[in-house]
Amino acid sequence: MRRLVVAALAAAVFPAARADWPARPIHLIVPYASGGPVDVSARVLAVPLQKALAQPVVVDNKPGAGGNLGADAVAKSAPDGYTLVMGAIATHAINPTLYAKFPYDPVRDFRHVALVVQVPNVLVVNNDVPARKVQELVRLVRQSPGKFDFASGSTGSTGHLAGELFKQMTGTEMVHVPYKGSAPAVLDLLAGRVHLMFDNLASALPNIKAGKVRALAVTTRERTSFLPDIPTLHESGLSGFDLTTWWGVMAPAKTPPEIVERLSREILAGLEQPDVKERLRAMGSDALNVRSPSEFTAFVQKELKTYSELVKRSGATAD
Amino acid sequence: MDVFANLWLGFTVALTLQNLFYAFVGCILGTLIGVLPGIGPVATIAMLLPITFNLNPLSALIMLAGIYYGAQYGGSTTAILVNIPGESSSVVTCLDGYQMARQGRAGPALATAAIGSFFAGCVATLIIAVAAPPLAEVALKFGPSEYFSLMVFGLIAATVLAHGSLIKAIAMVVWGLLFGIIGTDVNSGVLRFTFDVPELSDGIGFVIVAMGMFGATEIILNLEQGEKREVFAAKVKNLWLTMEDFKAAWPAVLRGTALGSCLGILPGGGALLSSFGAYTVEKKLAKHPERFGKGAIEGVAGPEAANNAGAQTPFIPMLTLGIPGNAVMALMIGALMIQGIAPGPQVMNEKPELFWGLIASMWIGNLMLVVLNLPLIGMWVKLLTVPYRYLFPSILVFMAIGVYSLSNNPFDVLIMAIFGVLGYICSKLECEPAPMILGFILGPLMEENLRRAMLLSRGDPTVFFTKPISAAFMIASLILLVVVALPAIRKKREEAFAEETK
Amino acid sequence: MKIKSPKDFWSGLMFVASGLFFAIWAITHYQMGTAVRMGPAYFPTMLGALMVVLGLIILAGSLAVEGPKVPPFIFRPLVFISIGLVLYGYLMKPLGLVGATAALVYVGALGGHEFRWKEVTILYVVLIIFSWLVFVKGLSLPFPLWPAAYS
Repeated sequence: MRRLVVAALAAAVFPAARADWPARPIHLIVPYASGGPVDVSARVLAVPLQKALAQPVVVDNKPGAGGNLGADAVAKSAPDGYTLVMGAIATHAINPTLYAKFPYDPVRDFRHVALVVQVPNVLVVNNDVPARKVQELVRLVRQSPGKFDFASGSTGSTGHLAGELFKQMTGTEMVHVPYKGSAPAVLDLLAGRVHLMFDNLASALPNIKAGKVRALAVTTRERTSFLPDIPTLHESGLSGFDLTTWWGVMAPAKTPPEIVERLSREILAGLEQPDVKERLRAMGSDALNVRSPSEFTAFVQKELKTYSELVKRSGATAD
Repeated sequence: MDVFANLWLGFTVALTLQNLFYAFVGCILGTLIGVLPGIGPVATIAMLLPITFNLNPLSALIMLAGIYYGAQYGGSTTAILVNIPGESSSVVTCLDGYQMARQGRAGPALATAAIGSFFAGCVATLIIAVAAPPLAEVALKFGPSEYFSLMVFGLIAATVLAHGSLIKAIAMVVWGLLFGIIGTDVNSGVLRFTFDVPELSDGIGFVIVAMGMFGATEIILNLEQGEKREVFAAKVKNLWLTMEDFKAAWPAVLRGTALGSCLGILPGGGALLSSFGAYTVEKKLAKHPERFGKGAIEGVAGPEAANNAGAQTPFIPMLTLGIPGNAVMALMIGALMIQGIAPGPQVMNEKPELFWGLIASMWIGNLMLVVLNLPLIGMWVKLLTVPYRYLFPSILVFMAIGVYSLSNNPFDVLIMAIFGVLGYICSKLECEPAPMILGFILGPLMEENLRRAMLLSRGDPTVFFTKPISAAFMIASLILLVVVALPAIRKKREEAFAEETK
Repeated sequence: MKIKSPKDFWSGLMFVASGLFFAIWAITHYQMGTAVRMGPAYFPTMLGALMVVLGLIILAGSLAVEGPKVPPFIFRPLVFISIGLVLYGYLMKPLGLVGATAALVYVGALGGHEFRWKEVTILYVVLIIFSWLVFVKGLSLPFPLWPAAYS
């Protein structure tokens, strides 16, 4: 019995050769708990990817420390193309500044393979707030400083940072009310206990369409095709306001370039498939403006810089 | 009647062969993962999402919903048979269900759980059908101050969970609250009591604590007994409920259903309280409360009904407001979004076949589950006749796999072992774990809502008394406190205690 | 002073100690804030203090009222079960299901009253097959079956 086990163990140990990559299942680590949008999109993407690579793509959830735990595990794992991570704006742009102790370098420890999802945030107000345009809201908030509350899914989330940026650019005072996730925040927004929120488009859309809350502006530089009539904050007098939630596939830094190229090609091809496109669109993902690994790296560098300033100025911290 | 026309529509779409098939698959899978400790509906549904891509939205939703309430049925099985609560709702079932199993009454306990759940599921489904939109408005009425007051009420009720010393029970609740604080502070983002361990930054999972303090501790204690006796009564008395059982159980089922239906509507902690609340109610109403914790059938019937009703009604805010009341509901929303449907106020009008089809399928699913589970009882009971030396390593493996699978992190298994040891020490010192578990669940919610309420009111503590719903809970808490602390009752507790040690 | 109720005495001590720990750690590491704007230390400090008070009451009671003795600790099952569980967690990645389950089943069984090699081995094989079928094949959990390849 024992000997059998040992023999089987030996058989299982084989070297990972580059030429025949992928020769075994690929693990795509999601640094968040199962069921969230990052997780769901990873599972959507895994379907065409495993068909193209002829190997199973296994989605592993490794949540903890705002995503840092999972991302760090991948940064320090073997760069053989068998361990990938769904890195996000939190793990690769916001957290490095937000967290006092941060375990990895979001640029140098990774090969950025392909951006997968970009979701705008949208400024929504409770129906009782008598503002139809951004400038009307700014005037209202200015008249009664500190009386308005804005909700967010957590401290240091894009919703929080968008609110802080809004305060800075308009020189207004509002109280930030953090929640544990977006859902309870939306509930209090619907009930009128908080006045406004910079919510993720996907979660805000149904209530906007039903007229339960009012959308004033989107946070992206360009308008979104989901709400073509809603102006951007940039258009509404907050010039330069540009904020998008994103995530994409990344690999450990020393992953061979040919594997990164191949992965990037297959992922982008997968994203072009109509059913995949439709599903990601249902999650609020609009067209992507990043197409190659090098563009993605440049994009991460730019985001990292933007958010390090934003986080510092907002005074948000975590340790 | 509109409702009947709508329900008719619902049944016509839910009763197609395809949808019946998916409801069945969901129920089977749900029962399976419910029985396996640790593996919960959230992870399973997430893994199955890709499969649902190729289904139509209704079939997908029916299957996922089947998994969800199938897991509720299955979860009570593990709680009763081996004292492992796989979900927050089955912690209470452990208290009396497991004791019944040890007395050779696993059959009646399982039957009560199944039938109570079925009844509660039917009633809750009817409530969703008749009154979803107005009830959703109720959910909106609950803000931070209301939730805080509700939690205070729940915690005071928690002390009734213990059958020993009252003051120790209170201390255990407070301990649970403190353990619940470990992790990232929602309000400031500060990490508390994490000691530079990154795994602790999201707090300790409830399932891990519960499996440690109930499951692992129980195994250790059983092994300690050594040869002296087998763990389970060798003679199984009966598989089915006796007339007395039935008489004792049905009013408890009714009360549990009512309580669970009400609390389940509240997203953010409502459903969590339902089974604990039902247990409290039953113990307070009982003529002989000292039987509780030693195999009282009402202690299984009430909470099981409450947790199933509380599992069903979160569909109300999900379907009408697009607000998920728990992680499973959040996933359902994800599943619907992938299908191009955004759950929200319009779903009922724009996709009536989806809304009513799902409601009809809930009833069908509950029926399937009860039909599926009742014959299984014989098999489960037989499982208990397996010698313990085979049984306990198997339970250990399932616990370890389940906990490991939560986030693929060995640290979680380590924490479970630590809580197993802590549970052992507590049992030697006669400190009961159930109040601690409730404190652990409610602690973070309570602090979060307290601080949020103070933030929104700009530091005015009177909000807890000026808002009517909040004030009502505060007054009720006060009354309950008096009732619990009344000397007469304390005396009764001591008598019960004395009886036990005799 | 005589300890009349050892169970209560030790649990009271346990509560006082952990209450003190939580409260002192919170005060020294986190911001207190005010009742209006509570800081991260506020809630744990209050709870810790409450726990100390409760613990003291229990302690006082244990000196006044007779109570049962603490039953003896039997370390064999306690130690083997805990170690088995921890081994399982930490061996899963390097040694796969096959290795981790072996550790848990054999070490865990040592905690039992009797240990028979043959029986435990049969049980081990059955559990491996079952775990692999249900968890890896059925629920497609990402567990390795065999030890990981060291490359």
